[in-house]
Amino acid sequence: MLPLLAVADTAPDWFTFFLQQCINGLTYGALIALIALGYTMVYGIIGLINFAHGDLFMLGTFLALTLISAFGLDTPDASSGAIAVGLLAIFPIAAVFCGALNLAVDRIVYKPLRRAPKLAPLVSAIGVSFIFQNIGLLWKGPADLSVPSLVPRTDFFSDPTLEFTVKDLFLTLTVLPIMFGLTLLVKYTRLGKSMRAVSQNPTAAQLMGIHVERVIGNTFAMGGALAGFASVIYALYINTVGFQIGYINGLYAFTAAVLGGIGNIPGAVLGGLVIGLVRSLGAAYVGARWATAIIFGILIVILIFRPSGLLGERTREKV
Amino acid sequence: MHRIHFWTVWASTAAAACICGCNTSSSTPSGSTTATLRVNPDAPKSGAIRIVSSLPRTGSAKQQSDTIVNGIKMAFDEAEYKVGDFTIEYSDLDDATAAAGQWTAESEAANAKEAANDPNVMVYIGPYNSGAAKTSMPILNNVGLLMISPAVSAVGLTKPGKGEDNEPGVYRPTGKPNFTRVVPADDLQGSYGADWAHQLGIKSAYILDDNQVYGKGLADIFRDRCQELEIEVLGQDSIDEKEQDFKPLMTKIKSTNPDMIYFGGTTQTKGGQICKDMVAAGLNCKLMVPDGCYEAAFIEAAGPENANGRVYATFGGLPPKNQVGKGKEFVEKYQEKYGSMPEAYAIYGYEAGKVALEAIRQAGVKDRAAILGAAFLIKDFDGALGKWSFDENGDTTLKKLSGSIVRDGDFEFVRILGEEKN
Amino acid sequence: MKPSWTKFLPRWEVLAFLAIALFPAFCALVRSVFPVQSTWGNLFGSKLTDLLIYAILALGLNVAVGYTGLLQLGIAAFFGIGVYITGILTVNSYPFQVGFFVSLLSATLGAALFGLILGAPTLRLRGDYLAIVTLGFGEVVKVTLRNLEEITKGTKGLNPIPPPHLPDWLAVVAGWFGFSNKWDLDYRLFFYLSLFILAIVVLLLKNLEHSKLGRSWVAIREDELAASCMGVNVPRAKLAAFAVSAGLAGLAGCLYATKLTNTADPNAYDFNRSIIMLCCIILGGLASIRGTLLGVFLLLGFEYIVSPQIDSWIQDSGILDSAVQWAKSVSPDSNQLANAFARLLTFSNWKFMIFGLALVLMMRFRPEGLLPSSRIQQELRH
Repeated sequence: MLPLLAVADTAPDWFTFFLQQCINGLTYGALIALIALGYTMVYGIIGLINFAHGDLFMLGTFLALTLISAFGLDTPDASSGAIAVGLLAIFPIAAVFCGALNLAVDRIVYKPLRRAPKLAPLVSAIGVSFIFQNIGLLWKGPADLSVPSLVPRTDFFSDPTLEFTVKDLFLTLTVLPIMFGLTLLVKYTRLGKSMRAVSQNPTAAQLMGIHVERVIGNTFAMGGALAGFASVIYALYINTVGFQIGYINGLYAFTAAVLGGIGNIPGAVLGGLVIGLVRSLGAAYVGARWATAIIFGILIVILIFRPSGLLGERTREKV
Repeated sequence: MHRIHFWTVWASTAAAACICGCNTSSSTPSGSTTATLRVNPDAPKSGAIRIVSSLPRTGSAKQQSDTIVNGIKMAFDEAEYKVGDFTIEYSDLDDATAAAGQWTAESEAANAKEAANDPNVMVYIGPYNSGAAKTSMPILNNVGLLMISPAVSAVGLTKPGKGEDNEPGVYRPTGKPNFTRVVPADDLQGSYGADWAHQLGIKSAYILDDNQVYGKGLADIFRDRCQELEIEVLGQDSIDEKEQDFKPLMTKIKSTNPDMIYFGGTTQTKGGQICKDMVAAGLNCKLMVPDGCYEAAFIEAAGPENANGRVYATFGGLPPKNQVGKGKEFVEKYQEKYGSMPEAYAIYGYEAGKVALEAIRQAGVKDRAAILGAAFLIKDFDGALGKWSFDENGDTTLKKLSGSIVRDGDFEFVRILGEEKN
Repeated sequence: MKPSWTKFLPRWEVLAFLAIALFPAFCALVRSVFPVQSTWGNLFGSKLTDLLIYAILALGLNVAVGYTGLLQLGIAAFFGIGVYITGILTVNSYPFQVGFFVSLLSATLGAALFGLILGAPTLRLRGDYLAIVTLGFGEVVKVTLRNLEEITKGTKGLNPIPPPHLPDWLAVVAGWFGFSNKWDLDYRLFFYLSLFILAIVVLLLKNLEHSKLGRSWVAIREDELAASCMGVNVPRAKLAAFAVSAGLAGLAGCLYATKLTNTADPNAYDFNRSIIMLCCIILGGLASIRGTLLGVFLLLGFEYIVSPQIDSWIQDSGILDSAVQWAKSVSPDSNQLANAFARLLTFSNWKFMIFGLALVLMMRFRPEGLLPSSRIQQELRH
């Protein structure tokens, strides 16, 4: 951080501008990456594009918003200590909520369709996505809702043109350990090994004594918990939630997962960061309204020329 | 075998339908409406008249449109739903969908067609959004149905020579205007806004818009006036209202270091998020927003802590709290009846309702052309907004706008705009 | 072997067709017998016309997804392209103003061309990856339509699109039968025009189903590799599927825009619309024309006709008002409860819940759809 600070104070304006846009992009990208992990893990293990994942994330943000006001964190007399404790409590609650919900959906909706043709679970996922959106609509109504900004925005840079705030640090500090933890988990733990085994060949895995359904359930629960984490961070970072945020964020996340090579954990993270960067640099140098088109344009080009994504070669080692 | 079936069936049904069509041609609305374009002396002088309103009743505009509808209902309540021997029926139509979160062309067109096709409908109150007006105006113009909008302010809809080349003629297939509005048009709002900025000592501005009829139109007028006043325009960008946050854009704006950002748009096109992201990107300049953001939902969306002291809002007319005379009476009665403060446009809904009744009273017959004609002849109407008239374009002669600043989570009236020009 | 008398009785889909085609006559009958408003049925007829137009769109999607098994998630983009081609060729701010029938043809061919443009580079992609590319393509088209303001006027839309102009002799003939040539007032004109075009599309697809091309589509759906080994020209058949599918969507778009009298806002042609169309054909039965039509009538009929009707009943019945009043009496200082009631008692707010449940339950208990094509049924129930 320190050398960066030194550089920033002497660098020319165009460079600090570029740096700032990179910070914007990477922070947002980290958020997208968290959601993308849920897509990629589920795809890796049962080959399902879980369209409902974005809406699960949306329900998480609604829960976070409800908890924030239930704990009284939005009142002006809430001390910063109380806010910190409250937030620490909200994270696990949201994660458990989303994880349990995702697991329940898998058990009720997808599990009976394991042997059905691929289209059946996909369409069911679209149905679940509708149901989630509708729950969100009935829960909080159709208008966008504001989340109070609870995380301070103290800037680390002395240069007024460059901002890396406590908020950004908070985001980075939450996202990075989760990613590393997940990668280690998949690589070294017993659960991770069985997940990889199931993804490569469920029948063989079963023959080797792996409880396939339990592994799939764990994957859904973990993916859901990640979406829960992401939802709290999103609520605190973007500060606006609404019943349709699942759509565009889910789409971005899903694109990130594909971009990195769907089923591949580091790939999803890379994809998320790339999308964040493209989005903010696109907005900065091309025009804010073209950002979405650029993201999907890149997606199409990559898929046509490298159909298995950026980290495609490693897809054999998928989760 | 199958194909033969199909064609015989087709031919026979077509024939059958045509024959039935023949029998009913006298009762279809098309027959009667060609006649209504001329004043019809045989038109009924009593019976039920239907008035519809078409406003966004879903999404974040609901808060505002609820109070507009309350205002309309108050106007009818006071007349006990009666004008002369006519009884008034009122329907509250929605031109928004939950999925879109704002008005959609499909819903607005459906509402307009429903109104056009129902011979009992004599007045169409609405719409709320300028883009929606573009959709419904030609449809309703064809049947000569009077439109009274409580909120639409895009310039080109009424004023020749100020919008695009073919405006407003393109919305008037019959050549006769049928659209009126009780709010001042944006040529005033945009330029008064720039005047206000100039008086605040603003030297440079960055202009944003939502790329819609209303927002883009306003932003362009604001920009032109800025150039006249020698306020430096550092850039103009359209946002994608479907985006979740605008931090990259705000970082870009920050690098140009403006004194003020102007956003031409509404709460529904992410006005609140823009305010929020300005703060998040560390921009300390002012934000000026037009009347599309002049509602409680905007402050909620922006977060009061972000909006306080930063947001300057222009609005066509006076805020509810600063109304005088009949306007004040309205606000008091409203509070008594509904137990809360009306939003800024409620009084326009009330006025639109009053004007509708007045036009019907003046016409004295249940005839669209007569009522439309009567509305355009309304002069010196002594309503809640003061004394005003419609001009030949259907615009109000009211020219009073107000400027407010957000303080303590509410709009605080600062001054009247447009009284002195420099 | 069917008993011989069924030959002389119309099949039920013919009956359904008759019922739809005679709807305006039915309305006229009701109006002349019962003391209802003279506009009774007009709104319903106009919405029925929308369903006929969406049926064409759904049949187009069915060509790609149902027949050929290409999971196309961007059909709304082609619909939008059809809409905008129509807009550009007919509004008076452009010099073309070619009239309805030329624009109908151009929208169809233009959208088909875009279908080829999307299809060509994606021939190698399979399954999910193809789905994602089509989805991305849909988003790119939407954003491009919105941002190319010089051409499309952005979110302002192109406006107004004139109604079709009947040739004089046809107008005279129509006049004999009581059609007034006022397209924005007499819904029957659009109704019969859409029904006529839908009937042609259905006949065309029926023939296509049994043609060489139709059979090669099915072969590709079943097993692409085997099909190519058996001598099916896979790239050509796939491209044809993309083009036909997109062309029909463009055709539907032209009708839609002409009926709406403007191009709406590009945001109307987004992923949501594609997904709803996909739901229609899956609910009805993949690869089956009658299934597709049934799906459209059930799902979209519910969305456009049934649910607004129930909403207005609830509004008229006063249940909503009394609930809100009650909520206010319970907690006078807070609007939250009243708002919650208003939300829960609005039937259209439950729409997606019902759609979602329908999809989930269908996939669980009848994955082949309500009226499946026999082949799909065999595949899914082996």
